[in-house]
This record gives sequence, C-alpha cells and structure tokens, in this order.
Amino acid sequence: MQSNQTFADLFKARGVSRRDFLKFCSLTSVYLGLSPSMVPSIVNAMENKPRTPVLWLHGQECTCCSESFIRSSHPSIEDLLFNMISLDYDDVLSAAAGHQLEDARKKIMKDFKGKYIVAVEGNVSTKDDGVYCMVGGDSFLNIIRETTADAAAVIAWGACASFGCVQNAHPNPSGAKPIDEVISGKPIVKVPGCPPISEVMTGVVTHFHTFGTLPELDRFGRPKAFYNTRIHDKCYRRAFFDAGMFVRSFDDDATRKGWCLYKMGCKGPTTYNSCSKIQWNEGTSFPIGSGHPCIGCSEPNFWDRGPFYKRLAEVPFLGSDSNADKIGMIAVGAAAAGAAAHAAVTAVKKTKEEKHDKD
Amino acid sequence: MGRIIEEIYVWRLPVRLYHWINAICTVILLLTGVYIAAPLLNPPLGEAVWFKQMAWFRYAHFAVAFIFIANFLFRMYWALFGNDKYGRFGGFRPWSPAWWGQPFREQVESYLFLRSDEPNYVGHNPVAALAHFVFIFCGSSFMILSGLAMYGENNPGGFSSALTGWMIPLFGGSYTLHFAHHLMAWIFPLYLVVHLYAVFRHDIVDRTSVTSSIVTGYKHKVEEEPV
Repeated sequence: MQSNQTFADLFKARGVSRRDFLKFCSLTSVYLGLSPSMVPSIVNAMENKPRTPVLWLHGQECTCCSESFIRSSHPSIEDLLFNMISLDYDDVLSAAAGHQLEDARKKIMKDFKGKYIVAVEGNVSTKDDGVYCMVGGDSFLNIIRETTADAAAVIAWGACASFGCVQNAHPNPSGAKPIDEVISGKPIVKVPGCPPISEVMTGVVTHFHTFGTLPELDRFGRPKAFYNTRIHDKCYRRAFFDAGMFVRSFDDDATRKGWCLYKMGCKGPTTYNSCSKIQWNEGTSFPIGSGHPCIGCSEPNFWDRGPFYKRLAEVPFLGSDSNADKIGMIAVGAAAAGAAAHAAVTAVKKTKEEKHDKD
Repeated sequence: MGRIIEEIYVWRLPVRLYHWINAICTVILLLTGVYIAAPLLNPPLGEAVWFKQMAWFRYAHFAVAFIFIANFLFRMYWALFGNDKYGRFGGFRPWSPAWWGQPFREQVESYLFLRSDEPNYVGHNPVAALAHFVFIFCGSSFMILSGLAMYGENNPGGFSSALTGWMIPLFGGSYTLHFAHHLMAWIFPLYLVVHLYAVFRHDIVDRTSVTSSIVTGYKHKVEEEPV
C-alpha cells in the first residue's frame, strides 16, 4: 500500500460511495464533538492529505486495545479506517515478520522523520534494564526510546500505556512504567481504558490526521472530546441513583429491575470515559448496561484503588479489612475514651486537692 | 460557688454567629455526607421518576456546603480585619519559636497533669489555638477545596472546576479525592468530642462559664471558694 495515498483514494478503491464517505466524515466530527461547520475540513483533509504513517508498538500488554480497535463500529467504513492510517508496523497485525518488519519500522522512521505517529499499546518494563519485555531481540525500553525519538506525536493506547494498568499495580514485579515516565519531550495523548472504546481510538487518529495537532487534553492528558464527563453523568441508570434506588446484592429484585449499581461499588461517579455515551460493539451495550458496576478502567491506577465491588477503598497500610469509616470510628472512639480517662484523672486530682485544702 | 467578681465580654456577635452556623452546617454536612457515601435509607416504592431521595441529599450537602464556605470566609475576614481582641489571629504565631515557649508548654503540662495549677486565658489558650488551626482552619480548608473540586466535576470546565480542579490530579484521580474527602470528614466528629470535653472540663475546673460564653458572649471570673 502506498504511503502517499489519501483516505478518499482508498475509499474509492474500496468501492465506497461518496455519500458514504461524507457520512463517515460527519459521524467522525460528531464523535469528536466538533461543530457541523468543521465537517468540510475533515472532508478536505481526508481527500487531500496523505495518510499519516503509524508505527504501532506493543509492550507489556494483552492486545485487548487492538481487539477493541478492529471492532470499530460501522464495519464497512471502520475496517477501511483501519487500513487508512497506513499502519506500517504492528507486531500483531503485520503480514511481514522478523527482520523484514523491523526494517520497515526503521525505514519509516527515516523517510517520515518528525511526521509519523507512534502508537503504543502496553507499558514498559524498566527493572533490570527492561529485560522482562523483549521485542525483536531488544528490550522494549530501548525500542520505545529509539522509535519515539523522531515521532510527531505519541498515542498511549489503553490503561497500560497511559497509567500502567495491572502490570504496575502493587507490587509491580517488572518495574512497569507508563510511557510518559519513560520518554520525554514528545506530545503524548493518553487514551486510557481497558481497553479503550474503538470509536475513541479512531476518533483520536482522525483528529490528528485532520488538524495535524493532538486534540485538546484534560488534566490527565486524555482527549476532552471523549474523557470530559463521567460515566455517571450520562448513565441511563442515573434516574435510579437520584431517586435513591440501589442494587444491594447481585441476586436481589433491584438487580432484575436494573436499579443503580452505586452500592455495588460502581466507579461510574469517579470515572471519565464515554462508555455511557458511545457504548461498545456498535452501541450494543456497556458494563453497567449489562448489570455490572463500572470498575473505573480509564482512571489512574484503578487496580490499586480498592475492591471493585465496594464503595469505600481499602486503606492499604492498615490491612484488607479497613476502610475510611472504620478508621474514623476508631479515631473518634479513641478520642472519647481519652476524654473519659482525662476526665477521670481530673476528678481524682480535684478530689485530692479539695481534701488537701480542707486538711 | 464563689461570687462573680468580673464579667468580660469575650466573644463578639460575629464570632458567636460564626460558631453556631459552623456547628449546624458541620452536622448537616456530616449527616448528608454519610448518606451520599453509603445510602442506607430504604429505597422509595414506585417509579424512579417520582423520587429525588439521593438528589435531595446531594442538593442539601451542596447548599449547606456553600453556607459553610461563606461562613468560613467571613470568619477569615473577621480574624484578619475585625476589631476583635479575642477573635483575631494576632496572637497565633506558630512559625515563631517564641510562640511554642513558656505559655504553650505550661498549658500542655497542665493538660498532662504535670502541673497542679491551671493556666487561665480569657480567649483561647495556646493549645486550643493550635487545635483550632489544625482541625478547623486546615480541616475546613481541605474539605472546601476537595469538595469544590468534586462539585466542579458536575460541570467540567466551569467555575469551580477551573478554580479547584487541580486537586483531582494532585490526589491521583477523582476516586482517591473522594476517598480523602470522606476520610478527612472524620476529623469533625473527632474534633467535636475533644472540643466538648475540653469546654465542659474548663467550665468545671476554671469556673469561667466558658460554655455559656458562646451563647451570651460573657465569661465570668469567679472568686476563689473560701477555704
């Protein structure tokens, strides 16, 4: 596939009508939260700009991001999008293998210096010089530093690359680090989630392709278009939350009625993602829609944030059975006991003094 | 009991008003906060659209929180600019080693029963001043900042999100900030226990009518009981 092909060329070659092409552009602008007036810029970029070369690296991960990405909805179009970004290197999906593939990566790095995007799936093992994650005979630590050196931008796919995910959860045996702690001086956009929603992934790529810049990011480096509001804010079960109608155990009547999962440990109120808006698998459902509380997979260090099925996080240094309320109650109880003891001593002292005074 | 020999006007009206508004707000915030964190009430019967149980608890929590903030800011104004000898922060200088000197040590020793005499202060004693600084000033400041940051989550990019949203990454995420807010809320019941005990104890030991002073504003000096 030629690298200077535009999206429009590719659509045409695949037999997609112009009408469907424009529909795709409009849909993308909606996902990106752009105004209708921006649709022509997307069309223009798709028709005229050569496809952006993407090098897709895989570190310590489970490939669920790739699995999500290839399931982007509206298959006839999104399948093409998957081809469109000129994915020139991907350990998982490339036809080539071994030296051929590594040569392709080096060639792109040379030919498109400062213009290509590096998409990273998975995080980086840093302990013992990164020997716990070897790719193509070199440590992933070296590969990511080498590949991102001349990149225009870096996309961190998924919770692993963005925040570390399960690999750097306590006790983090391989010294896993998210990519922003390993590379510096490159614009990084974090697309967290375990995995992220496919439309979010394609949306970020389209934004970069259209405007040549990264989308507007929130305080955690996530694109605001998709991570600006909490799952809770757009949740279809919000009415049950506001009414105070909660599921109390997974086999009660409230579960069957589809009440709010807040008391079952749902992290929706503290999780920024688009699951309750875009949903998954062509808008089929999302975890809460299937009756399972959100586990907060797009938030930093969600594995270490206490049990998935409880509201109050454990306090790790005080054992697995402690939580904020227990600590508080013990502290207040201790204060009350202290006050009582102090009062007793005061009383004894006072009686003694009075006795002394009388004598 | 001895004769009242002196009447001192200690707590001016702004201080007393602040105290009681703060006390009522804190209790309401604690009760509504407990429900928000762990909704224990039975669900209402019927359709969800008929009810606003959680919504009203949250509404009360937010509304009272804004009264709490306004009251806190008012007290800060009064502490810095008010014409009030006992309500000002003038004497509280924890950054200076001198402040931790003799009077502070004496008060601590007295609380630990290491001295027989009880130092007596018209306003706050140094230990009380420190406790108020830690629990009320620092505690309230944290609860206000973290609370506003979480309130701002309802309207991303809005006023309170722009003002205090930096608290969220500082605490490593929204969930951890909620947790910190919840844990820190416990300092208020903790403080309440210590505060009430200290007040009642001083009332009995010093006989300065400190308990009623927060209602009337007056403390009394009582003549030593004739031996």
